[in-house]
Amino acid sequence: MEENQKKPKNYLVESILVTIFCCLIFGIIGIVNAAKVNSEYEAGNYEGALAASKQAKTWTLWGFIIGLAGVVIVGFLYLVMGIAILGSAGDF
Amino acid sequence: MTFSKKNILLASIPVAILLLVYFFYNPEDFDWFPKCPFYSLTGVYCPGCGSQRALHSLVHLEFGKTASYNFLFLPALGVVLYNFGITVFNELSGKQLTNYIYKPIFPKVVLIIVLLFWGLRNIPFSPFCYLAP
Repeated sequence: MEENQKKPKNYLVESILVTIFCCLIFGIIGIVNAAKVNSEYEAGNYEGALAASKQAKTWTLWGFIIGLAGVVIVGFLYLVMGIAILGSAGDF
Repeated sequence: MTFSKKNILLASIPVAILLLVYFFYNPEDFDWFPKCPFYSLTGVYCPGCGSQRALHSLVHLEFGKTASYNFLFLPALGVVLYNFGITVFNELSGKQLTNYIYKPIFPKVVLIIVLLFWGLRNIPFSPFCYLAP
């Protein structure tokens, strides 16, 4: 292994945030890959560490996107329901 | 350069908005807060369940309540702040302090704790029921 190869980012913090705040399955797969980044790097397998880093990034990113989409969709539904209730207020 | 000044500034805006929302609104009193999709589908608590109420308690400095809603909330926040602190310190000072979250053992321990917590908090009798949100 070349000495100057930078440690790939392990996305552990992002995985923990995703686990705590929304889509646990994605967060837990992120944590598994974070573990892989560290151990592969330590074992001298730079390519393996980089691949695990990319995996971790993908899973945490999707967890974040899906969590955010969920919040936006729920917010939108409440908005629509609110407007519908306001609109029908005179029909009772 | 994850923690450039620009990134910190950009991230601080949504974080501040979130903190304000969770300070002024209690997730227990308003049903427009997002629900845990895993709990809604399965009826089983996930490791993140209770974290919105935990955040509400935290911004009111009620640390005991924070831990009772989600026992891992404060340790998780600790990891986030530790990583932020050590990364920014290393960048500003030019030093290379060891960031322990890059040790091989660290994410494995995190994984084991999260999985244990997930299992234990779903056991519906004392003392495990105290881990439920």
